[in-house]
Amino acid sequence: MKAVLRRGLLLAPSTAIFLGVFLVPAGFFLVVSFWRVRAYRLRPDATFNNYSAVLTEYWQPLAFTLGIALVIAVVTTALAYAYAYFCRFRAGRFGMAFVFIAVITLFGGYLTKIYMWKTILGSSGILNSALAALGLTDQPVTLFLFNPLAVVITLVHYTLPLAILPAYGALRGVRDVDLEAARDIGAGPWRAFYDIVLPQTRLGLLSAFSLTFLFAAGDYVTPTLVGGPHTSMIGLFIQSQFGHRVNAPMGAAMSFTMVAGCLVTIALFALILRRMTRAVP
Amino acid sequence: MLDYPSAAVRAPLSAYEAERATLVEKAEPAPLVELAGIRKSYGSVEAVHPLDLTIRKGEFVAILGPSGCGKTTLLRMIGGFAQPSAGTIRIGGLDVTALPPERRPTNLVFQGYGLFPHMTVAQNIGYGLAIRKTPRAEKQRRVEEAMALVRLEGFGDRPIAKLSGGQAQRVALARALVMRPDVLLLDEPLGALDLKLRRAMQEELRRIHRETGGTFVFVTHDQAEAMDLATRICVMARGRVVQDGDPETIYSSPATMFVSTFIGEANLFAGQRCGGVVTLGAGPTIPDPGEDGPVVCVVRPERLWIDAGVEALSECAFRLAGVLESAVFLGPFVNYTVRLDGGESVTVSSREIGLRTRLNAGDRVAVGWSISDHRVLPHEAP
Repeated sequence: MKAVLRRGLLLAPSTAIFLGVFLVPAGFFLVVSFWRVRAYRLRPDATFNNYSAVLTEYWQPLAFTLGIALVIAVVTTALAYAYAYFCRFRAGRFGMAFVFIAVITLFGGYLTKIYMWKTILGSSGILNSALAALGLTDQPVTLFLFNPLAVVITLVHYTLPLAILPAYGALRGVRDVDLEAARDIGAGPWRAFYDIVLPQTRLGLLSAFSLTFLFAAGDYVTPTLVGGPHTSMIGLFIQSQFGHRVNAPMGAAMSFTMVAGCLVTIALFALILRRMTRAVP
Repeated sequence: MLDYPSAAVRAPLSAYEAERATLVEKAEPAPLVELAGIRKSYGSVEAVHPLDLTIRKGEFVAILGPSGCGKTTLLRMIGGFAQPSAGTIRIGGLDVTALPPERRPTNLVFQGYGLFPHMTVAQNIGYGLAIRKTPRAEKQRRVEEAMALVRLEGFGDRPIAKLSGGQAQRVALARALVMRPDVLLLDEPLGALDLKLRRAMQEELRRIHRETGGTFVFVTHDQAEAMDLATRICVMARGRVVQDGDPETIYSSPATMFVSTFIGEANLFAGQRCGGVVTLGAGPTIPDPGEDGPVVCVVRPERLWIDAGVEALSECAFRLAGVLESAVFLGPFVNYTVRLDGGESVTVSSREIGLRTRLNAGDRVAVGWSISDHRVLPHEAP
């Protein structure tokens, strides 16, 4: 009984925070997503109208967001895994230092990084100046900024450290002796990686993917600043529904549709990952 | 150098020893592993000095030495996990020096086992066969044979996490044996097991060696284990092979002072050789030709005699007086510790149980040995 009490006390603060600032508000907005707004006031209801509106009027930004977030997450996860692999298996005793360097860039701040990329990619930016100096262009190239590619570049750069951590954590769990044993009984280096390293680090890959995917899918600052007019991500629409459009039910419906879309994407990724990394030959 | 009297004093060969002797005889003609001028250095540190070593088919070789002597590096070079800085390695006549581990006819049982945690026992054992694309039916048959060989029948579906230390050791062994390697390499195979399991696994290893007729090379720092298992022992110290021979020779005729103390118990009497005569600090002089300089005279505890007075040891060529410090009864023999008058402490192992009732701690006693029971070796700095 005492042990139960002690465990309860230990869990209480985190449970309170999780309930108070996450589950209760989320539950409230889930209910609100079935309400209506009339004369700028919330009216309780039980309508699916908001959801059908999301799927008919906003399916394009929804699909675009899921798509671009998928691209960002896949690229970031691949880069992060390669980096973490280098730190774990190739960097020797400097491995931890390399991970630390990657993580320290998180202190650079989110907006700083966005503006950094604006400076690099902009029409009078470093890239254009360099091209002009080399005599490759006589006019600034406007292709770099204000398009989805700029959003991908910026978000990959920002989320990379977030993905490196779980990937490195998983790779650290793979013991050198397991790899040597695989080589010893006939596996070449690639085969050993595929059969021994990948299956043991699947969870780390999934965490890295989920973190970056969710971050990218929910972001609306980056597309505003570097995305240009054709990068319409769902976050912008949700923000405006809760903001000047004063339509919380619609915004809530968008949010929950998005949450569902994200969960499905992550589940599919997990499934594909499982298929691809067959644990047993 | 003097040699010990041979077979006559020794106990008759046990069945295993007899078998081991015939195996060595049978194995004599075919060199299987040939190391020539093998050297390994890490930066300025010489882990293995240039050495030659030949291992014949059917041998059970122990590479024995204290930690840091280069024995594991040597094993890893044979297995392909460390690239020699110089020299060549041939296995079955083929130069494998440049080959990666997966292309060598060797398999290594790692000290940490290296069992794949995401596979079952059978999947672990069958992994190498799967890579070789062995047909499913044959693979299954061989995996089951291997499990039977290490007495793990019925464990095929167990996850690795559910194995005890001894079982994990057996799986690692089976996973290597199922590949039918020309040479099986074992890195401290019994190091992680407790005493009782270690004894049982020693028995198992001997049986498996006998049943498979394979060539086993294992690394150990435990001299008892090496004596127990090996048909041949290579003693290593500081990156060099200091003695290579069968266990009996290594015990009875140690080549260096280090070997004499590392393998078995030994009493060392310091002395000086001058003009072919060794004068021990403790008194006696021994005619023994060789280079002038500091030497040690090595006498095994069981070769020493002990009695109440110098007169009682009239058959011993060399006699020393001292005080009995303790007598410990160990079952088949009694260990006496004697403080010699010169201050040195010696250990005497005696099977003469009756002595113990006559000798008491604090008594003046004498120890002695016969002319053929010592070895004079150059002194080495520790």
